[in-house]
Amino acid sequence: MNSALWVSKTGLSAMDKQLNVVANNLANVSTTAFKKDRAVFEDLMYKAVRAPGGLSAQNAELPSGLQLGTGVKVGATQKDFSNGDYNMTDRQLDIAIQGKGFLQVLQPDGTIAYTRDGSLQLNSQGQIVTSGGLVVEPGIQIDRDAVDILISEDGVVSVRKTSDADAQQVGTINIAGFINPTGLNAAGQNLYTETNASGPPLVGVPGTDSLGRIAQGMLEASNVNSIEELVNMITTQRAYEMNSKVIASADGMMSFAIQQL
Amino acid sequence: MDKALYLAMSGGVQTMNAQTIHANNLANVSTTGFRSDFEQARAMPVYGEHHPSRVYAMTENPGTRFAQGDMIQTGRNLDVAVAGDGFIAVYDEAGQEAYTRAGDLQINAAGQLVTGRGLPVVGTAGPIFLPPSSNINITADGSISIVPQGGAANEVAVLNQIKLVNPDKQNVRKEEDGLLHSRDGQTFAADPNVQLVSGFIEGSNVNAVEEMTHVMNLARRFEMNVKMMDTLRDNADSSARILQRAT
Repeated sequence: MNSALWVSKTGLSAMDKQLNVVANNLANVSTTAFKKDRAVFEDLMYKAVRAPGGLSAQNAELPSGLQLGTGVKVGATQKDFSNGDYNMTDRQLDIAIQGKGFLQVLQPDGTIAYTRDGSLQLNSQGQIVTSGGLVVEPGIQIDRDAVDILISEDGVVSVRKTSDADAQQVGTINIAGFINPTGLNAAGQNLYTETNASGPPLVGVPGTDSLGRIAQGMLEASNVNSIEELVNMITTQRAYEMNSKVIASADGMMSFAIQQL
Repeated sequence: MDKALYLAMSGGVQTMNAQTIHANNLANVSTTGFRSDFEQARAMPVYGEHHPSRVYAMTENPGTRFAQGDMIQTGRNLDVAVAGDGFIAVYDEAGQEAYTRAGDLQINAAGQLVTGRGLPVVGTAGPIFLPPSSNINITADGSISIVPQGGAANEVAVLNQIKLVNPDKQNVRKEEDGLLHSRDGQTFAADPNVQLVSGFIEGSNVNAVEEMTHVMNLARRFEMNVKMMDTLRDNADSSARILQRAT
């Protein structure tokens, strides 16, 4: 059958995936610390019907061959880890990471996941947890009678009690960095998990080793630019329409041939 | 049998090939750095022990359009686009130097600078490996400067340089992997005049309207070939009828 049909089909499914990515970005335009995705398109291999430089006759070389492209695919989605806007919330347990690092949280299965969502809370035992209820590693216990919780730029958590004038240190928040954050596995719920591509985490004190400082009373917004996504949506839709037009045209050719012959 | 039927058929088949080329261009309308392919038909006379009256059509893609695509701003440090002429040198799957305009670079787990497809970028001396860093900048001449991890913001170290080439377009050819290769197998020397822009990627240079027009044109051309086959069958029918014995 007409291979243009299959080529355009790859175009349709790639545009469909791109629209999926755009839709997910737009849906998460208000998600705390969400990082937008970008679909990476690549052209598929070419089918060499006639290799360039082949011979057309004994002494005549063809100056060009016939290589038919076989379409396009979305080879990868790339997370863009550029920082989102920082919003003041003035809530003591809201923290934002100004830099590249991640907070470490303990998952129910005992493994560590990474997040930039710093809208922290206390659970019923007084532990610092994410809004999803996962304990921030290393675990920090806040006493019941604490009045103020202070989190410094370098991650030192201290509390001030009514009985005490001075704040006392109760723990530190460490930050993990990755060589290639794009290689992290996005696990949903604002969590990322380590993969071979991301490399092992480099855990350290906030503010050192370019891990990023902690800012208390702030939250990082999503880094989705809604205008950019809308433009992407329009171009994707048009590209989809044009690919389906090619399918219609190729189909028209086949149906004409079948009717006439 | 009338040989013209085969001529018309080959015309139809070659038209379908040509349409595949345009369909592929259109499918890659969003592919970073994609260069669209041309399509042309060549007349191929059949020589032999007879009068060379039969001329078949043969579709081929004689070249690639090197016009610049749209510049898309991403603001990402590792996205680079070539401004004006020139290519970024990468290693293909076989380890040979190949050339591309797709500058959506990233760093893989080994700390190596690779393209969005995962092909290693060629530096001044082989592949480019980067140590952990807090900030990476790629300047206009392809130099990569980093602020090392834990370093102060002014501790900028220039590490390596992306190989940028600007060969004669006659000497580059798109091959089966979709990358551009030199026609004679030689690698090109780095050209200091090629400029990169960081924070941008270059889109595809496919002109969608042009490709659509070609697709429609080819559909009609195919129909003409089919019509020709139909006409030739009518001719064959008529001559068969004439030769039938009248009863």
